[in-house]
Amino acid sequence: MKGLTMKNFQGKEAWRTMTTNYSHWLSFILLLVVAIIVSPSFLSWNNITNQFVQGAIVGICAMGMSLIISAGMIDLSVGSSVALISGFGVTILNSTHSITLTLLFCLGAGMLLGLINGLLVTKGRIAPFIVTLATMSAWRSVINQMGQGGPFTVDKTMYAPFRALAAGRFLGIPHLMIFLIVISFLTAMLMSKTKFGTYVYAVGSNQQAARLSGINVDRVKTLIFTYAGMLYGLAAFLLASRLTSIQAASAGSGYEMDAIAAVAIGGTSMDGGKGKILGTFLGVLMLRIINTVLIMANVPPFLNGLVTGVIIIVAVLAQSTKKNK
Amino acid sequence: MILEMKNISKSFGPVQALKDVSFDVQHGEIHGLLGENGAGKTTLMNVLAGTFPPDSGTILIDGAEVVGMTPRKANEKKIRFIHQELNLCNDLTVFQNMFLGEEYSKDFWKIDRKRELKHAQEVLDSMNSGISAAYLVADLDTAQKQMVEIARALLFSSELIIMDEPTTALNNREIEKLFTIMETLKKEGVSFIYISHKMPELFRICDRYTVLRDGDFIQSGFFRDINEHQATELLVGKRFVQAHIKEGLPSSITDKVVLRAKNLQGKTFKNVSFDLHAGEIVIFTGLQGSGTDELATSLFGASSLSGGTVETSSGLLDMRDIKHVMKSGIGMIPRNRKERGILPDLSIRNNNSLAYLVSKHKAFFVSSKEEKARFEKSRIRMDIKVSNDLNPITSLSGGNQQKVILSRWLEIDADVYIMDNPTQGIDVGAKFAIYKLVVELASQGKAVLFFTSEYPEIHQLADRCFVLYKGEVTSELIRDEISEVAIMEYSTGTHREAHK
Repeated sequence: MKGLTMKNFQGKEAWRTMTTNYSHWLSFILLLVVAIIVSPSFLSWNNITNQFVQGAIVGICAMGMSLIISAGMIDLSVGSSVALISGFGVTILNSTHSITLTLLFCLGAGMLLGLINGLLVTKGRIAPFIVTLATMSAWRSVINQMGQGGPFTVDKTMYAPFRALAAGRFLGIPHLMIFLIVISFLTAMLMSKTKFGTYVYAVGSNQQAARLSGINVDRVKTLIFTYAGMLYGLAAFLLASRLTSIQAASAGSGYEMDAIAAVAIGGTSMDGGKGKILGTFLGVLMLRIINTVLIMANVPPFLNGLVTGVIIIVAVLAQSTKKNK
Repeated sequence: MILEMKNISKSFGPVQALKDVSFDVQHGEIHGLLGENGAGKTTLMNVLAGTFPPDSGTILIDGAEVVGMTPRKANEKKIRFIHQELNLCNDLTVFQNMFLGEEYSKDFWKIDRKRELKHAQEVLDSMNSGISAAYLVADLDTAQKQMVEIARALLFSSELIIMDEPTTALNNREIEKLFTIMETLKKEGVSFIYISHKMPELFRICDRYTVLRDGDFIQSGFFRDINEHQATELLVGKRFVQAHIKEGLPSSITDKVVLRAKNLQGKTFKNVSFDLHAGEIVIFTGLQGSGTDELATSLFGASSLSGGTVETSSGLLDMRDIKHVMKSGIGMIPRNRKERGILPDLSIRNNNSLAYLVSKHKAFFVSSKEEKARFEKSRIRMDIKVSNDLNPITSLSGGNQQKVILSRWLEIDADVYIMDNPTQGIDVGAKFAIYKLVVELASQGKAVLFFTSEYPEIHQLADRCFVLYKGEVTSELIRDEISEVAIMEYSTGTHREAHK
């Protein structure tokens, strides 16, 4: 008798674990079904790759955001960082005519900006929300001053080879799609297979206990921001390549919100401690699918934000009620 | 008030937490509720306080049945539940906390602070607490916070107060004070339900007992008719009989010094020096505020030393760097498992591996196979009861969580283990397992620095015992000199001058 109840218990437990742990899959599939009903051609190769291309740059940022949120922090400076780096990146490209140097600059600058956020949070003991609110404002201002209202445009000589990086395809697969998948995969490996990944969750879960287990909490936080910054740098590089002209005032604007939204609907708790990179990956795609469905369903464009907002709340609500039970 | 709970059953899903449990509390009685963690004590009390309804059974107050108990209704019936985790807002004052949710008002919309302050102070004074109602709760120590919780219950003239392990964070003097207050209230006709793991306290303060085990009612009766040994047997069944763990074992102490502390000084202690030998169990004890808390964390590099040195066989240690201390062969099981020990979102397996990853794991990647094997080893060694090691650690009972934390540190194979109140809030069985482990570690040549304020632990384990009073060592007792009276006297400062 006891064995029987135990077994039932485990079955129920397993079901509960499954619905909590895989809720991002459930919502993803649900959305996909809706999309296919609205437009049967949704599953065409052309459309699928298009979804990835549209989501790639924000998606790469969202991978960094995933780490930051898993450690119980937040970053509002994503969009401004991307704008600053891509604006400078174009300037570097035009003066050096070297794509490699430009890429290295973008990654390095991203790491530097991340390091600044990280050090202000750890050494300055300022809340991440405030630090990144300040840097968000500061970086945007710097790039606006540099641009003086005009765009940063890639020179004619470099236009074709540089643009091919983001717009090109490899074996029919868009480069941007490959970038997103590779970065997501590497980040997922980092988080699930290395001790650094465990430390990130540990810091987000219980900072005090993490410290008493010998983890250098400050260093982990700084590294998280630096890693995220590097991804913003890559995103900035790809953005410059894709657009070939960077508007100082508008480039990357709203990226932080999209990235946070992707992380949230991907099932990562804003309290830190838990999070799934795969969830964020699906979250990025879900945001794209929502967007596409709204267009195909002829929802007035001004109402897109409303519908997206409602869907985000519903998705997160569904996950949190499951957690509480 | 006369309370009767009859045939209470409660299930959570397929887990039956209470099976047909009945018990009663008389007017002006202190009733001890006994049981291991998970026996159903807290569930029963939650049913009584209306946190959730029972599946079946009835609650009678003064002979009249109460249907559909809710927390509000329980308050109206003058029942108050003081939870183990204190429910106070640190940033509010004492009286604001006491009236929270039940404020006095005037002119229809304003809070009548004057009246609240006055009433709160009256209650606090009547308890002889020495607390000003205008203090910020953040400025109080744990014992005082406990007093505030009781004062809050008295404020609305409660007739039945439920206390869930109120003494976990209190030292002996504070416990005595709490008991004095309880006894005064008892004379005035207030009844208590007192939940605790500590036998001496139960025997000291309670009139009757009720024992639960695995959700079953086992027995009720008068404490005066049984002794601690019998009570323990009722609690755990016949499977565990308290014994002296060290008795009959050869002494494992060697001459080899594994840790030498010289003139350590921190915010709350000074001039602490001692040598620790391989195979030795050294106890540090003292009342709350005596400096033992900070000393424990300082020895691990987790709070900063303002003076003194710590030396191991590898030389002087850099006490500002926990990782360096760990790598020099020191591990620490911190006090207060919930705040300092567990990582609630991480799996049991990851919780088990953490210290190993920090100090021993060299490669960039972590193999989950290795981690699984590591946990499996811990599970067998510590007899951890677990269905799936990938579940979060919070799915385990307190005792099993603590076993995982211990395993975490066993994995780094340290020479010195600092254990800071490792048996806090866990059941008798798990406590016994920890004592056995400590003795086993010593017999393997490890040294253990054990911080505790519970005499039975000192008695069970100590080779030597240091007593702190106001931040200074007042006494160093060897095993034969240790007695409860001696320790009490040294830790209350009675013998201070004599020692000097």
